[in-house]
Amino acid sequence: MAEQTRRRIQIDPITRLEGHGKIDIFLDDQGKVERAYFQVPELRGFEKFAEGRPAEEMPQITSRICGVCPTAHHMASTKALDSLYRVGPPAAARKIRELVYSTFMTEDHALHFYILGGPDFVVGPTAPAAERNVLGVIGKVGLEVGLKVIGMRRKLRDLITLVAGKVIHPVLGLPGGVAKPIKPDEQKLFQQTAAEAVEFAQFTLGVFENVVLKNSDYVNLIVSDYFTHRTYYMGLVDKNNRVNFYDGTIRVVSPAGKETANFRADQYLDYVAEHVEPWSYVKFCYLKQVGWKGFVEGDDSGVYCVAPLARLNVADGMATPLAQAAYEQFYATLGGKPVHHTLANHWARVIELLYAAERMRELADDPELTDPNVRTLPTEIPREGIGVVEAPRGTLFHHYQTDERGVIKKANLIVATQNNSARIAMSVDKAAKGLISGAEVSEGLLNMVEMAFRAYDPCHGCATHSLPGSMPLLVRVRNRNGETLTTLRRDSDGRVHRD
Amino acid sequence: MMATPVRVLGLGNELLGDDAFGILVAHEIQRLAPDLVDVVCTPESGFSLLDYILGAPRLLVVDAIQTGRAEPGTLHEIAEGDLESAPGGSPHFVGLFETLELARKLGLPAPSDVRILAVEAADCLTVGGPMHPAVTDAIPEAVRRIQSLIR
Repeated sequence: MAEQTRRRIQIDPITRLEGHGKIDIFLDDQGKVERAYFQVPELRGFEKFAEGRPAEEMPQITSRICGVCPTAHHMASTKALDSLYRVGPPAAARKIRELVYSTFMTEDHALHFYILGGPDFVVGPTAPAAERNVLGVIGKVGLEVGLKVIGMRRKLRDLITLVAGKVIHPVLGLPGGVAKPIKPDEQKLFQQTAAEAVEFAQFTLGVFENVVLKNSDYVNLIVSDYFTHRTYYMGLVDKNNRVNFYDGTIRVVSPAGKETANFRADQYLDYVAEHVEPWSYVKFCYLKQVGWKGFVEGDDSGVYCVAPLARLNVADGMATPLAQAAYEQFYATLGGKPVHHTLANHWARVIELLYAAERMRELADDPELTDPNVRTLPTEIPREGIGVVEAPRGTLFHHYQTDERGVIKKANLIVATQNNSARIAMSVDKAAKGLISGAEVSEGLLNMVEMAFRAYDPCHGCATHSLPGSMPLLVRVRNRNGETLTTLRRDSDGRVHRD
Repeated sequence: MMATPVRVLGLGNELLGDDAFGILVAHEIQRLAPDLVDVVCTPESGFSLLDYILGAPRLLVVDAIQTGRAEPGTLHEIAEGDLESAPGGSPHFVGLFETLELARKLGLPAPSDVRILAVEAADCLTVGGPMHPAVTDAIPEAVRRIQSLIR
């Protein structure tokens, strides 16, 4: 029966609604949810587009594809070029890259907390829909905090512009280094803003503690079973197994928190495989050595998770003191490692915000930062290159194969959201099962389901930049035969229709 | 640079098929009337649009959308007041209207007059994909409409 309904979805694509997030909910004969499927639009054709282009263009091309995290693509691509030409950047260039990257992470995480995640927690999951938005967040934390967030963001973006040319299309990374050194007066600007960023991150952690942790309803929601999955976790760590966004090895821990792998970026194909489902364009990543056992949790299932919570779970700690203290409080409060509550991603993100700001300050203070030697010229013949960074939303791999002139023959990207796709699907399914009974679907479902995937901060940006910015969402409830019982559609203007 | 009263904001991504529409129209406006308007283009979305909306009393946005209820190439003209105010629509995806409301609430110089001209797109998801012929054909008409709005 299940096979039959799956086939039905496959042959019945609603192309008219391409561009929507789609949730299909299948009910059994008792009207209980048998399975919910979640799909988002995905970019196509990147591999083909890359073929035949010089590899050196990839840091520019890949950052242009995505308007949400261009800096992450730019950096992963630059590192793939280092690997392709077998050339390492001089110390100052490496530090400039990580400094710019930490600046970007600080900005992105701050934005997420106040603008995207804030409505769920700062305003509250049960607040009226009309208040669950950024204006509600500002209403609660105060206008001056809103201006502070905007001011901080402005300064961080100005710094990226100063060094990388453009925030949205950085022109910083080259194989073996960066395009230009940092001057002493520029270093001063970084030092000033980094100090402010650390203060700002501490302030933000305080907001989280006051608004969320002191409210038992919110804490109960975080630890509720609806939003909990015991899966594997993956993330970059430095040589001391501390969280690192820019470089290191990729560590994997089991649902019990035991290290099961620790590998270099160029070994990723030995560890990560992709599963295809007939109902989705998205490929579902899983751990090759554990195997694909379906959308299930536990030690025997290769489903894993990336992003802030995963990074904290795989690491032994944070490399900076303030973030380390926050990390210890996190695990003490939530009952030890690993934490399996998806919504704890919001807290983990604030801890990472603090780390990013502290790391920015460390690098900004580094005397070697202004060393003019920022490039090692590549001399090797290119063949294959693999680069990895931790994007705000999780581990990001770039993999290029070229001919001897450095012209791309094959390109493969694994983006953060793809690593998380199996667990996101499980979260949506679980939220639907917890909430729905029969064909009556409330608008509350939309919020509950959105909360389930929103915590991962999945990147739909490529497909949904369009105005007004609200992700169109389609929910269909079907019986076992695939016949639609109810359709709830929220358009991009934010209005909800029932068909 | 002297502040111009009208800004044309082209939204989209030149690498993604029909998504190039807003950028192409904005470039054409700039070519035809460089002194009358201030033209800005970006592939960014949501809250990041804050950087591009401040400082001009009038804002004309050109974009590609998929309503699924019109043929590709159809032009949709929307004024800010035509839509129910977006806050409340989604708690999560902060769009242009939320960004505008936020800017006003914070006392930042947000435009008071905002109009959007959007083309119905066929495909904005294929990297390096071609534009739909009907979407390409809609460019001159979109340019004319923007010009009449500027005057």
